[in-house]
This record gives sequence, C-alpha cells and structure tokens, in this order.
Amino acid sequence: MTATVASERIKAPLIPPSTHRYADVIHRLEAGGSMLPDTPENLKQIIGIYKAYAVPMDFYWRDLLYIAERVFLNPLPAFKYFISQEYLDRPNSYAGDQSQLRIWRGGEKVHPELLEFMERGETGRMSKLFHHLWHDRVNMEFAEACMQAMLWHQGMGGRFNDYLESDAYKSNADRAIKAYFKGNPLMLGLYALFPDMFLEQVRQLSYTANLGLFWEVMAPVFFEMSDIYDEGGFKGVPDAMDFLVNGIFAVAGRPIYHHLYIGDECYEIIPKSEGFTWLYEAALPYVEAVFYRTAPFRGTKSYNAQAGQVPADQADFHYGILYADVFPVGSAGIPPTLLMQDMLHFLPPYLKEIYREHRRGEEDELVQLGITFQRSMYNVTSAVIQALRCALLYPLDDTNPEHLMANRRFFEAQMDRFLRPEARLPDIQSQDYR
Amino acid sequence: MASILETAASVGVFNTLLAAVDAAGLREALEGPGPFTVFAPVDDAFAALPPGTVQTLVDNPPQLARILKYHVLSGSYSREQLVAEDNWDSLEGAPIPIRSKDPFEVKNATVVNADVVCDNGVVHVIDRVILPG
Repeated sequence: MTATVASERIKAPLIPPSTHRYADVIHRLEAGGSMLPDTPENLKQIIGIYKAYAVPMDFYWRDLLYIAERVFLNPLPAFKYFISQEYLDRPNSYAGDQSQLRIWRGGEKVHPELLEFMERGETGRMSKLFHHLWHDRVNMEFAEACMQAMLWHQGMGGRFNDYLESDAYKSNADRAIKAYFKGNPLMLGLYALFPDMFLEQVRQLSYTANLGLFWEVMAPVFFEMSDIYDEGGFKGVPDAMDFLVNGIFAVAGRPIYHHLYIGDECYEIIPKSEGFTWLYEAALPYVEAVFYRTAPFRGTKSYNAQAGQVPADQADFHYGILYADVFPVGSAGIPPTLLMQDMLHFLPPYLKEIYREHRRGEEDELVQLGITFQRSMYNVTSAVIQALRCALLYPLDDTNPEHLMANRRFFEAQMDRFLRPEARLPDIQSQDYR
Repeated sequence: MASILETAASVGVFNTLLAAVDAAGLREALEGPGPFTVFAPVDDAFAALPPGTVQTLVDNPPQLARILKYHVLSGSYSREQLVAEDNWDSLEGAPIPIRSKDPFEVKNATVVNADVVCDNGVVHVIDRVILPG
C-alpha cells in the first residue's frame, strides 16, 4: 500500500490492453487517473461544487446528529430541523485545534457562509419559523432521503445492519426507549403494544447517526480541497482524487456509533466498543446506497414494475447520481433538486461564471450545477475505487503481471456497473455535456 | 521457546505492530496459550499507509483491535497447511484468502518469512497490512 496513487503510476505496460467497452477509462484508472477526464475545466467544476456542497453539509451532519441523539423518538418532531445551539456550536471532530487528527486546516466551528444563509436566506432577515415555513432554509429533507436510502437498501457490506437485528441492539434500544418516554404512560403503552414499530424507528435513527458521522468528516475534506485549489495547489483531477483517497484512509478507523442523550445522561444504543468503522459501516454503504442505487424519484417518471422497468433485485437499482438524468430538476421534493437548491446558495464566483457562459446561463443554472455535481461524484467514486484497490489489491506500479491482471479484473468489474444505458460515464467524458 | 509477542519484540522490525497490540488491549489475549497463527506486518508495511491512518486507529482501540484481529487465526497453521485451503476465517470474522502458494501470498500481502514457530502459535511475516473486505 502506498501513500498516494500518484507515486504508483505505471511506466510501461506489462499486460495487454483491456478490451472492455470502457477500456480508455480503465487504462486511465490503471495510470492513476480518475473516471473523470483530467481537464482544467473539470478540475475547476468539481472543486467549486465540493465547496458549494460542504457548506450545507456542515448543517446536514450537525442536524442529523441532533435528530439521532436528541430529538430521537419525539412523536411530533416538527422542530427537528431547528438545530439546537449546542449542535450548531459542536466542534467538528476532524477539524480545528481540538481535533485528535489534524490533517485538514479548517476550523471546528460552523461555516460562516452557512450562518449567514441561516440568518437571511433568499428572502431576508426574519424569524426562524417563517424561514422554515417559507422553505427558505437548508433542505434537510435531502439528508434524510440519503439516510432512508441507506436504511432501505441495508445489506451493502459492513456489519452495521446485522447489528441492528442483534439481541444486544434490541436490548440497548429498549433501555433507551423506556428512558426517553419515562413518565409518559401513553407512549410507553403504545410501545408495549407495538414494540417493533418503535424499534424500527430507532434503527432509522441509528442510520441517521451513521450518516451524520460520515458527513462530519467529508465537510472539512471538501473545504480543504477548495482552499488548496484557491492557493493553486491541485495540478489536475488526479491530484484531487489522490487527496480524497488519502482522506478515506486517514479516517477509515473513525468509530461509527449511536448515542442518545437525555439531559446529561448518555444511552449507548450502538457503543463505540462494537468496533464499527467509518470506512466499512458508513462510507462504503453510503456510496452504494446513494451514488449507485437509491430509488426512483416520485413525480419525475412513471415506471411499470410488471414490465420489469424496476429491477426485482435491490442490488440492481440504478437511480443514484451516477445514473441520474438531472434535467427534470425543479419538481417539488425530489432529493437531487433539494441538494442542488442548497448548493446554488454557496457557489464560488468562478463556477457561476462558467454557468453564465453556457447553455441558457442563469436560467438553467440548476441543471448545469447538477451535471457538475455528477462529474464531481464520478471523481469521488473513482477515489473510492482506487482506495479499495489500494486496500485489497496491488499498487499500480507493481511489477508482477498477475497482480496487474487482478487490478484489471477489479477495474473492469467496477466499470461493468456502468454498462447499462442510464449510466452517465460516457457523457462525462465530454465537456459538452452540461 | 518464546511466545509470539516475545519473538516479535526480539526481531526489532515489528515495533508498530507491538505498539498497536498494546493500544488495542490485545497483549493479554495474545500472551495466552492460544494457539494462534499471526500474519505479522513489518514496520514498513504500517509506514506505507497514508498519513493519519494508523493514528486514527490507535486513537480508537476497538476499531484498531478489529483490524489487528484480521491478522490472526485461531489455531497454529504452517505454510503447508495454509496453502491447502483457499480461505481461512480470521478472528475478526472476515475470511483471509490465500491467493498464491509460490510465492506465498496472503490476500494482497507477500509472506516474506513463513513458519516462525513460537510457544503459543506460529508467525508468518508479511510485507503489507491486510484489510477486510
């Protein structure tokens, strides 16, 4: 295993060329590149969107943890998006001087652009309640949709989901539920009548904590990438991918857990001692559930399940950002539109300029930024593929042809997932796809 | 004869592994009667991991223990016995594939020194940290 993909780039081919439909992309991956072509505009687009994504993400992770740890089973959670000051001030565990792992330079506090947006929104300064009702706020519904995709798809590697079915988890959840509803005979009575319904809600909250802990790391990573780019630090798309690969390794061992706080008392529903890790129990299931699978979005297209238009096997679902047609944005409530709306508020000026210069300018900015986001997520997926190759297979500069063939088979198997016609991999090879 | 950990300490190229065993609280278990089969990565293998990887694990003992347990089998197995099977169940729970008999390769690591027999098991020295998945 090596510190960076860059240091492993091969010099002369020891194995014959691939005959896969995406042979060009496979050869690029074998040379230490990304699925996204290395062009200055691609680099500019992906870094710009990482920054625009990191700002709402700074809200998502805080509020997800607030919901999982504090709001918990509130039967009327009307104010779950009204994050408490404590969680807004919560120092990021992987940024700031208090962090045990000081790799990324950003501070631990909530991002100032987020605070400014929470204050003013698009409309202007008014009370939090009006901002909420007018929907002039961060779209937490997107974060919850990602969490639900993880909950629904479940078996995607790691041991998190198995644990949610274990007796230990059920016992921890039971203790937490009884403590949360202490002195509330109505809810305790309902719990006695429908215990599985409550348990399933707690499982959903465990995935809420899981996603919050996952994004807590990604926000400082993306901010750092934006800062490095602004300083002229990245020379190309592969540099940006390498940075992500190293980031994935650096925090791979971060514990994934679910704690409930009632006052100052902590109830460990999933204790850290279970040994669940950021890489296996959060990052890999997240990529699988959200980038690849998710589910058809309501209101964008009709599917005929009897005609086989929706796969019978969940593993074949292909509605994630890597396959999405980002054109039908604007439909109320569909998760990618919610995210694109969130990112629109925090675009760096150089990205706005690109959008103004192409297609219909500001009028179809949401579509253009959706495609930028698609490009950027192909780069993140490339980083995940290279990280897995690093962890489970061989260096790119290995001199054993059998090892290089094992890498080749791995890359080809990954590219097989993009053979279906909905995949956007061929589209992102061209700069004209906007 | 010395135990697995005493043998490792005497060689001088397993300093990171031994520190990790202590940080994960696995010393007592590995000093027990076992027997165990340990795939022991050398210091250079840990050093090749990207910056921060080892630190995050050392800061979180249960997570570190999980990765270390992936390097241990219950029972004492020589190279000859190991290459007779395709997969072996690690103490972590995930299988460890034997990918090549000659050269002797365990998952994506090469065994650089096999069959170091100890009091409570056997050590095979490997050139990379292996990870489940």
